[in-house]
Amino acid sequence: MRILLAEDELVLCDQIKKLLVAEGRIVDIANDGQEACFLGTTEPYDMIILDLGLPVRDGLSVLREWRSAGVATPVLILTARDGWSDRVDGLDAGADDYLTKPFHLPELAARVRATLRRSSGRSNPLFQLGGVAFDTRHGRATLDGVPVDLTSQEVAVLSYLIHNSGRLISRTELSEHIYEYDGDRDSNTIAVFINRLRKKLGPELIQTVRGRGYMIDAA
Amino acid sequence: MLSLRQRAWISGGLSALVSMAVGILLLYSFLNQRESDRFDRALTERHTQAVVALSYAADDPARLAELLFDPQYQTPFSGRYWQVTSPKGQVFASGSLLGASLPGGNRAAASLVLQDAANPDVDEVRIAAQRITLEDGNAWVVAVAESLAQLKADRRDLRQSLGAAFALVAVIGLASVLFQTAAIVRPLNRLRRDVARRWDRDEALSAAEYPEEVAPLVGDINTLLERNREIVSRSRRQAADLAHALKTPSAILRNELSVLADGKQDMGKALDALDRVDAQLARSLARLRTANTGEAAQAKTDLSRSVQRFQRLFGMMAEREGKTLSVACEPGLVVRMDAQDIEEVLGNLLDNALKWCRARLSLEVRRAKGGIEVIVEDDGPGIPAADRAEAVRSGARLDTSKPGTGLGLAIASDLLQAYGAGMVLEDSPGLGGLAVRITLPSRGVRGPKKG
Repeated sequence: MRILLAEDELVLCDQIKKLLVAEGRIVDIANDGQEACFLGTTEPYDMIILDLGLPVRDGLSVLREWRSAGVATPVLILTARDGWSDRVDGLDAGADDYLTKPFHLPELAARVRATLRRSSGRSNPLFQLGGVAFDTRHGRATLDGVPVDLTSQEVAVLSYLIHNSGRLISRTELSEHIYEYDGDRDSNTIAVFINRLRKKLGPELIQTVRGRGYMIDAA
Repeated sequence: MLSLRQRAWISGGLSALVSMAVGILLLYSFLNQRESDRFDRALTERHTQAVVALSYAADDPARLAELLFDPQYQTPFSGRYWQVTSPKGQVFASGSLLGASLPGGNRAAASLVLQDAANPDVDEVRIAAQRITLEDGNAWVVAVAESLAQLKADRRDLRQSLGAAFALVAVIGLASVLFQTAAIVRPLNRLRRDVARRWDRDEALSAAEYPEEVAPLVGDINTLLERNREIVSRSRRQAADLAHALKTPSAILRNELSVLADGKQDMGKALDALDRVDAQLARSLARLRTANTGEAAQAKTDLSRSVQRFQRLFGMMAEREGKTLSVACEPGLVVRMDAQDIEEVLGNLLDNALKWCRARLSLEVRRAKGGIEVIVEDDGPGIPAADRAEAVRSGARLDTSKPGTGLGLAIASDLLQAYGAGMVLEDSPGLGGLAVRITLPSRGVRGPKKG
């Protein structure tokens, strides 16, 4: 799952990115409102974490522009403004959730998971299909109850397919959601990750539709 | 300090009184003089007639009664008399005297003398008397008199009608003072209404719409309104900036400490200290907000719209937690409070109710005596009556089992106090948990003064 983090405080960015990457998310960072607006409009993020107090352009106006441009990506607002009017303003501008600073990192991680789950229409954080179980909360997988060691890129691929289970995902779409903005995108390596996942979790989990992409059945 | 209206009334009343007194005095003395002159001229005329008659009838004074023909000379004590005294002291008089004599009617100077005199027979009269020396050298005294009763009655009538006329003038004068006062005070009254209205709409007053005497004041008021608005918004901005400046580093610090704590280092004390810093920060920022609100930010807010906004937010939040929020609100309710302040109150009350309720919370907003009543209820554990005062005290946390600063009810209470509104904690009759009841100053109802 690819996430845009729009926050101008570099240290905080670093902390949040570490947290999210540890859970198998791909994180792009925008340090000002203009950059955030551009990335949010042009890249297919699964979720956006948006600080309202961004330089150049304030977060609320960026959010409004996204929504009026038809960008439906779930947005979690992160802000030092803790007034209730600000929260309702954020929600009315199209935000999905709101977290005020100072916050606890685990709280942020939980909100991110909940937001992603809601947007995929899944209410259970635990995915189970056949002998494979995957906990979307921390990206840990088991096969027949035995923990399986996955690399962060493997978690990213598996997590995106599971969040979109029941839907055919093209290689291009998959690569857009597992690579960072300036990352080296090579859709051929997707095939490599899929192969590794099949070796680790069994061949039945991920189906290949020749020439079109991959799919995991809805649990 | 006397009001402008009182000043106008007092000065108008005094000037009316003075001009009336002077007017009455001047006019009365003028008319009185004219009346006396006319009286004296008529008396002199009659004296001349008597002298002429005497010149014809000096030989036979008994004929005088025939020559001086006037019915009033014949009517007993009619008030009009004549009396002629012969050189030998013999007295001839009009029939109206009935044998009585005029006071001092026997003595006279060579020139005509008019004077007031009285005796019990004829009462007060004015006598014109003269010693007349006829061609034969004999000196007669000719006196005519006229009762003063009629003159006095006329004077009394004059005084009365003058009084009535001037009373009417005074009434008209006072009425015009009232009218003028109203006309002069009207722009000031309008100014007062305009200040209240335009402040709400965030508009400046237009000096061109007022008389030139009031226009400079309008300019000054504009400057004051502008400065007041600026102070309120600047201090709010400062609070927001301060919040941003402190909260982000605090978040960073907390995250670093958490990482260290995960690395099995004991960070408990450091995290506790940071919790205290955060709580103190939240409290101070809330205080800063409250200090810049209330009367300083006199504004009107569409409460029904705010309630709708919070219905959306808390409806969603409740749904995510598997709880139900029910809202009942009359449309078109307006409160005399700043939008951010009333929303802060609503947000804190609903947040508190959502945090503590088991499955249901409700918000009811309706018109009530003395303003608009807002009731937030939940089906949670409630607060025992003995602890309710403590719950609204800043920073007091009765139960630390739920996350939060424990400031919600206290912030709401502080904000309400700044507007002179109160907050009552009760048992919820409908849901069984806590009910928070507040009465907000509505449109047109001014809250009591702060402090």
